[in-house]
Amino acid sequence: MMEFLNIYANCQLVHGANMSLLCDLQLHKFYHIPNDTFEVLQYLKQHSIQDCIAHFGEDNQEAIDSYIHFVVKKEMGFIDDRLLEQLIPIDFQWDRFTPVTNVILEYNERLNYANKFVGDLFDLNVQALEIRCYHTVQLDHLLPLVEMFNDKTLRVIKLILPYDGSISLNDLETVVKKNPRVKSIWIHDAPEHKVEKIFNDTVAVVSLARPINACTACGEISSSYFQSNMELFSESQHYNTCLNRKLSIDYNGYIRNCPSMEQHFGHMEEVELSAVLKDPLLKEYWGIRKDDIDTCRDCEFRHVCTDCRAYLEEPENRYSKPLKCGYSPYTNEWDVWSENPLKQAAMDHYGLRSLVK
Amino acid sequence: MGNKIALLMSRKILILSQAYLETTTDAVCQWLDYYQVPFLRLNGEDLFQWESLDAIPQNEDIAAVWYRRKVFQFPSKYSLKKEHTPTNYTLKRFLIDEFNGLHSLLFHTIDRQKWLNDPVIEDNLNKLHVLMLAKEYGLQIPFTEVVTRKTSVVALLEQHPELIVKPLGECIMVEDENDTKFKMLTVVVNASNLHRMPDQFFPSMVQEKVEKKYEVRAFYLDGAFYSMAIFSQNNQKTKDDFRNYDQERPNRTVPYQLPADVEGKLRKVMQELHFGTGSIDLMVDRHGAYYFLEVNPAGQFGMVSFPCNYYLEKKMAQVLSKAYLYEKEIHQ
Ligand code: SF4
Repeated sequence: MMEFLNIYANCQLVHGANMSLLCDLQLHKFYHIPNDTFEVLQYLKQHSIQDCIAHFGEDNQEAIDSYIHFVVKKEMGFIDDRLLEQLIPIDFQWDRFTPVTNVILEYNERLNYANKFVGDLFDLNVQALEIRCYHTVQLDHLLPLVEMFNDKTLRVIKLILPYDGSISLNDLETVVKKNPRVKSIWIHDAPEHKVEKIFNDTVAVVSLARPINACTACGEISSSYFQSNMELFSESQHYNTCLNRKLSIDYNGYIRNCPSMEQHFGHMEEVELSAVLKDPLLKEYWGIRKDDIDTCRDCEFRHVCTDCRAYLEEPENRYSKPLKCGYSPYTNEWDVWSENPLKQAAMDHYGLRSLVK
Repeated sequence: MGNKIALLMSRKILILSQAYLETTTDAVCQWLDYYQVPFLRLNGEDLFQWESLDAIPQNEDIAAVWYRRKVFQFPSKYSLKKEHTPTNYTLKRFLIDEFNGLHSLLFHTIDRQKWLNDPVIEDNLNKLHVLMLAKEYGLQIPFTEVVTRKTSVVALLEQHPELIVKPLGECIMVEDENDTKFKMLTVVVNASNLHRMPDQFFPSMVQEKVEKKYEVRAFYLDGAFYSMAIFSQNNQKTKDDFRNYDQERPNRTVPYQLPADVEGKLRKVMQELHFGTGSIDLMVDRHGAYYFLEVNPAGQFGMVSFPCNYYLEKKMAQVLSKAYLYEKEIHQ
């Protein structure tokens, strides 16, 4: 009897220059696999296991069997007497019910956020807000800002606070209790790296040993940030995964696509939201996909990796690879990006030297 | 005042839902917002604030109705103080009937053809009737019978190695004195556990147990089907009923295309029931045969939409806005 390997549609193969990735989008896992394995699994999408062995040669039977065993063991597929044609591919369409899905706000105690621009912005059903505090803040100063969104449909608030010995986990718990939208808290420049959970273990408080004291700390690419899920994978097929439908209010109250981008669109006290949203410059980078970016287009991680368009390896080339990525899809090695001699000029361009010791 | 004028000028979409735990309704409302289609979301909870019958939405203000849910919970001040007294259940039932008496007035004040699903049929759906209807339209259903005696079960077990017992109505949650909740599940009856069955019992629905390869949940909307296959992993816990979720090894849920003839028959069933939308459960056996199981007209479609990337909340909003634009056109 002929046997076939049916691979579930939410387990996606991504081919890279030298290695490939098998992304389990449902279980949020991914597996780094040799390109040979990719070839075999790809072939099995059209052919029986017997045909596959005939095609790649009897010598490879053991290897082929082990690949199939792997897929079945990880429950990413099953063996059947046919390829079930009713198991149709996923349409990786992407859309959201708002022109702005995420907002980053670089908090400045001297600014007043209770203005028309901010009100209009959050009327658009923005889904997530990140409030970044670079400098020490008093919680009771910050709270009115967090509470401003109580009557909005905003779902998630992430707070980034500097380490402050006088703020206890209990204080944070009080904030979260009153504002259940706060779903995660990051403490930067903390004495040690640790993760704690509050509010019945539903909210993570992540302490980071490094400081986040300016937007230049952003844009780092690391395998620990990779995510294998439907949202990112589908958005990545069509849009830029860093800038698409994002908006920021920088430390001085200027509107930007992301706080690290040079271009701004005026001050929140002075501009109309509708005018900003109509400005084609805002959307300039939204359509730049990983598949369009040098090096990334050859990288097997391209649909689990988020992009950065603010710091580029070649600052003048908008299609160049993110500066702060140390991975090479050609050698499959991770290097410390800031030590790469080829990146020094770009680091000078962005004034990033002071950041690295 | 301003509100009244606006109401007179434009018809809205009416969404009947509940205030809590309704991410599906929330998302549809946000899509409608995005399309700038006016809508009124009436949560069952809102009825507790009505001052007069004038508060009820008027037929002429409504372009279309999507009836999703009645209410999540009555306000806590109406919960009964002494728990677990024998009359408690009767009183709860009474309050639910009182609430429904008011809520279902809407079924009569707003023209029936404006409703995505006929609300009266929806609220009085009979599982056995739906099964018979499906059979009538040529769909295969598992052998189904209602029995009251062990001897009948013994006879049936001669033709079918295993049977399952399912409620004729809905599965319920039962609580014991310690507030531990028990969920009613599908139970298998076979020769080995038959001895636990009394000789005579309350009329019960039994069905032939189909050796399933996978299940299919099809969401029907405006004539189209968005289907999902559910493969329960080699996992005993979820074998009989995929609602017994397993967090560790979740079922695989992937997009699925039903054969055209199955879709055609299902479409006829939905039309016969006057349903514009609903979730349909099917089962596929080892030989690839399809068995119709049931229709859930208020189906929670988020569980199909997200895993298959179908954007059903967006499609629902589009269907509702089509109804709104159509109404707007004919009234100008
Ligand atoms: S090369 Fe591009 S896609 Fe690959 S890890 Fe680096 S930034 Fe991400």
